[in-house]
Amino acid sequence: MAIITPHRQLGREGTDMENIAGNPNAPLYGIAAEVSSASALYHAAEQVRDAGYRRWDVYSPFPIHGMDQAMGLRKSWLSALVFLGGVAGLATAVILQFYPSSIEYPLIVAGKPTNFFTVPAFFPVMFELTVLISAFTATFGMIILNGLPRWHYPIFSWDRFKKVTNDGFFLAIEAKDPLFNQESTRVLLEKIGARHITLIHDDD
Amino acid sequence: MSAQETKPASKEYFDYRGFGGKMIFTVALALVTLALAVVGRFVAPEQFAFSWLFAFSFYLTIVMGALFWIIVHHAVDADWSVVVRRQLENIANLAPLLALLFVPIVFVAPTLFPWMSVAPGEDPLLDAKAAYLNAPFFWARTIFYFGFFSFAAWLLRRNSVRQDKDGDARYTWSSRKWVFPMLLVFALSLTFSAVDWLMGLDYHWFSTMWGVYIFAGSAQSALCVLVIILTALRSAGYLEGVVTLEHYHIIGKLMLAFVVFWAYIGFSQYMLYWYANIPEETAYFLRRNTGGWNTLNIIMVVGNFFIPFVILLFQGVKKRPFWLSVVAVWLLLMHLLDMYIVVLPSFHMAGPVPSWLDLVSLLAIGATLTAIFMKRLGDTPLWPLRDPRLAKSIHLKN
Repeated sequence: MAIITPHRQLGREGTDMENIAGNPNAPLYGIAAEVSSASALYHAAEQVRDAGYRRWDVYSPFPIHGMDQAMGLRKSWLSALVFLGGVAGLATAVILQFYPSSIEYPLIVAGKPTNFFTVPAFFPVMFELTVLISAFTATFGMIILNGLPRWHYPIFSWDRFKKVTNDGFFLAIEAKDPLFNQESTRVLLEKIGARHITLIHDDD
Repeated sequence: MSAQETKPASKEYFDYRGFGGKMIFTVALALVTLALAVVGRFVAPEQFAFSWLFAFSFYLTIVMGALFWIIVHHAVDADWSVVVRRQLENIANLAPLLALLFVPIVFVAPTLFPWMSVAPGEDPLLDAKAAYLNAPFFWARTIFYFGFFSFAAWLLRRNSVRQDKDGDARYTWSSRKWVFPMLLVFALSLTFSAVDWLMGLDYHWFSTMWGVYIFAGSAQSALCVLVIILTALRSAGYLEGVVTLEHYHIIGKLMLAFVVFWAYIGFSQYMLYWYANIPEETAYFLRRNTGGWNTLNIIMVVGNFFIPFVILLFQGVKKRPFWLSVVAVWLLLMHLLDMYIVVLPSFHMAGPVPSWLDLVSLLAIGATLTAIFMKRLGDTPLWPLRDPRLAKSIHLKN
C-alpha cells in the first residue's frame, strides 16, 4: 500500500504551512490534527462537541475514561440489539423444542409430562441459545455499528497518524459534517491548541 | 478527572439528633418480640424451632453475604467499592450478635435435626454419615463458624477503622494478606454451615450444590440490604458526592449477575434430580413441588428470577436509587420466601401453614440486629475516610 508523504505548501499569508495527506486531487475527507496528551484530547473533544460538530472522531493509543461524555456520545444502540438477539434466541429454542415435543409428536420419556411442565428439560437449550444469539449479536452488531469491516481509512494516508498506536493523540473532523468549513474548522482546531493540522484527502 | 479533588462536602459521621424516636421504637420492638418468642417457645415449641431457624437463616445469609463482599473487595483490590465498604463492614460485624441469637436453636436442636435423636444402629444411612453427623462435632463446627465469621468481620473492620485515623497504607496491605486464607475458610464455613443447619433438617437428603445455592442467595441479599442502607443514608443527606449513581449502577449490575447466578445454581440443582428421578434424591423437591408448597415454589422462581431479571436489564433502573431500592426490597422478600421454602416444609409437610411465630421470629431477630446496627452506625465515619483508593472510588466512571 502506497504511503503518501504530506505535501508542504505555502499557506495564506505565506507564513503558515498547510499539510495535506492523501491524493490532493481526490475529494476532501476532513481535517485532522494532533494534540499533546490524553487530557488535552479530552478537553479538545469537549470543545468540538460544544461547537456542534457531529461527524468527527478522536484517536488515542488507549481508552480514555469519560470520553463518551466529552464527545457527547449518546448511549449505544448495541444493548437494545443484544436484547432483541436474546429474545430471538429464546424464541428459537422455545419453538424448536415445544413444537415437536409437545404439539407435533409428543413422546413420553421417563414418565415426564409433555405439556408446559416439561420445561426443565428444555431450559438448558433455551439458556444456551439465548446466550449464543446475544453474544453473536453483541460481537457482530458492535463490528457493524463501528463501520467495520473496511480495508482502508483515509486518515491512514497521513504518515504522522502512525503514532496513534504509540504516543499520539489525534482528532479528525469529517468534511461531511454539516458545520464543516475548511477555514472555520481549522480556526477551531487552532484555538483548541492542536498541532500539525492536516487536510486529509481520499486516495482516489 | 484529577485525583486531587477528593474533598467531599458531606457529613462524615452519622448524627443521632432527632433519631432517638426511631431508636427507642426499634429497641422496644426487639424487646417485645423477643419476649413473645420466649412465650412461643413454650406454647408451640416445634413451630417456634422452625420459625426461629427460618428467620435466623434469612439474617445469617445477609451477614455472610456482606462478609463475602468485603473479602472479595480486598482480594481483588477493588476501587469502586471503597466508599460502600464501611456499611458492609457494619453489616458483617453483626456476626457475634447472630451467634447470640443462635442460642435458642441450641435448645431446640433435637426438634430441628432428627438425626440427633436417632440412636446408633437404628438407621444404617445415619450410621454411614455418623463420622460427620454427630453431636460433639456438630457443636464444634457451630462454634468454629461463628468464631470465624466474627473474627474475619472484626479484623477487616478494625484495619479499616484504624486507617481512618492515619491513612497508613499498611492497613490495606494487612487486610489483603488476611483475605486470601479467609476466602478459603469462608467458602468452607458457608458451605458447611448451610449443610449443618439447613440441609441437616432432612439428613437422608443430600445435594452437592447446596452450599453454592445458599451462597448465591447470600451474596444477592447482602447487596440488596446495602442498596437500601445507602439509599436511606443518602435521603437523610449523608454520603452526598461520595456514593454516586455510578456506584448504584455497579451494585445493580452485580444484583443482576446474582439474580442469574441464583437461578443458574437453583436450576442446576433441580434439573439433575428431576431428570434422574431417583427417590432418595427427589425427596426434597417432591415435597416442595406438591400441594401448597408448589404454588410458593413457582412464585419464588418467577419472583426471584424472571421478574427481577427483566427489570434489572434496563440501565435506567440501576441508575435510579429509588427504583433499585424497590427491586432490592422485592429481592429480599423473595430471599425470605426462599428461606421459608428451605426450612418450613420439614415441619409443615403437607403445605404451608403461616404462623404468628414466623413473624415474631423475623421481627425479633431483625429488630435486634437493626438496633445494634443503628447504635454502631455513628461509631465510625460512614465511609473509609483515608483509604488509599478513596479518590478513585469517588470519581468512579463505568
